[in-house]
Amino acid sequence: MIQTLIQHPRSKTLFIFSLISAVLAILAILLAPLLIPIIISFALYALLEPISEIFERYGLSRNASSLSVLLILVGIGSIGGSLLLPHLSTQLSSLQSQLPIVWETITTMGNDFSQHIVSSLGLEIQSSGLTLHFFNQLNDWGKNALIEGSNLIISLSLLLVLVPIFTFFLIRDFRNFRNNILDKLPNSSFEMGWLIYYRVAHQLQEYIRGIMIQSGIMCIITTIGFYIIGLDSPFLLGVIAGVLNLIPYVGPLLAMVLPVLLALAHTPVELWLIGSAISVILIAQVIDNAIVIPAVVANAVNLHPLVVIVGIIIFGNLFGFIGMVVAIPVISTMNIIYCGLHQGIKNRSDLKLKTESIS
Amino acid sequence: MNSKHPLWQNLFRPKEDRISEVTDMWMSTPLFDKITKRECRDLVKTMHPRHYKKGEMVFSSGDIGASIVLIRSGGIEIKATEKLLAELTAGDFFGEVALIIDEPRTADAIASEESELIFFLRTDLDEWVKRSPKSGAQFMLNIATVLAARLRHTNILLSLQNN
Repeated sequence: MIQTLIQHPRSKTLFIFSLISAVLAILAILLAPLLIPIIISFALYALLEPISEIFERYGLSRNASSLSVLLILVGIGSIGGSLLLPHLSTQLSSLQSQLPIVWETITTMGNDFSQHIVSSLGLEIQSSGLTLHFFNQLNDWGKNALIEGSNLIISLSLLLVLVPIFTFFLIRDFRNFRNNILDKLPNSSFEMGWLIYYRVAHQLQEYIRGIMIQSGIMCIITTIGFYIIGLDSPFLLGVIAGVLNLIPYVGPLLAMVLPVLLALAHTPVELWLIGSAISVILIAQVIDNAIVIPAVVANAVNLHPLVVIVGIIIFGNLFGFIGMVVAIPVISTMNIIYCGLHQGIKNRSDLKLKTESIS
Repeated sequence: MNSKHPLWQNLFRPKEDRISEVTDMWMSTPLFDKITKRECRDLVKTMHPRHYKKGEMVFSSGDIGASIVLIRSGGIEIKATEKLLAELTAGDFFGEVALIIDEPRTADAIASEESELIFFLRTDLDEWVKRSPKSGAQFMLNIATVLAARLRHTNILLSLQNN
């Protein structure tokens, strides 16, 4: 019975696809502590592989070109870090000093709003209770953030060591590793396996390169915008907007939260500043959608917007921020694997039917 | 200890004699015309040898192809709707259209005897073109020449059949 079911092309595709998904899920669970450095290293591999190829074109061996790329990566990382980190830390301290003012403004606005409701509708909202609850909640978040922060420093140090090492070995050995694995496929599915790999690799490389460039451009545009409107910490806000832009659809909305909160910190509250902060993100989004996406990310993934949004929410719920960032490439990869498998299995099945009908 | 001892050898390193032999085979085809032997040899190291039993299907009509195939040993029959189109032997190559376009194969390829085939995949070609654009462009030109010659041959056959 099960065998008959699996003979059907769609059932067979689903069966093999489930097996592949299960293997990938087990690998992800086993590699969970190293998953973030591995994902970042793969993204860097996609970005830096072309540079290694240029070195190889000029006669450098694979070893020498991988080492040169690693040195460039460490060099740029060190110079960039030494230039930007002091600036970022100053802006972070200034942001920290502003947070009490932000909360105070929010509380005042909450009180004003409840008084307005009381005077106009006659309803009484217990704003003091709400504010207390809000601050208790904030207190819990703050504690968690501090614990997360200390963990983050440990993770960051681990990343700084692991990412260059992983990236070096990926650039040097990934092709051999991939060949050894794919060459183990049986003759009947050898070409199909390579074809699926080719499509996945091509699409992922395009997507990663595109989204990295897109995030960089968004970071520059929003930094300039926040600087022009006179918002504090424009560079930090720009970097956060650039990083959040890695999450399609949801990221730009999240990117609005911090600039709006900072605009609220101005006393007296200046509505034009809040409007301008939102406008900077919206203008950056318009530029992004009209110029950057068509030029660098277009057709990198071919997914319905609803699938993208639902995928981001589910992945975000399961794996947090990293889940939201990797949701699209993972869904897109699974889509290519499923379609490639189905196409191959269906062709084989059609051929078998044709041969049977001839004989 | 002698490094040639099997225990200390890199098991994944392709055998030298096979690489030289396959390089010579590719160099004698029009596909590697005006491309240096050294470059061809480097490329051969990335290719994929596979063994087929007698009667085993290499690919069938309708499969999406991803490679060109060189016969190192044995023989291959090319068939379309059960009609034998060609019998290929060691040194011959087939399936070159798949290197250029992402379209289904138009014929079946079946091993007529125990065969060793060397697959040159589109992935290998893409990576080679990025590393050596000049040689890659020459290779593309050579493929175009081969395809044009086959098209011309088919046209002549068709016109002879019509007459």
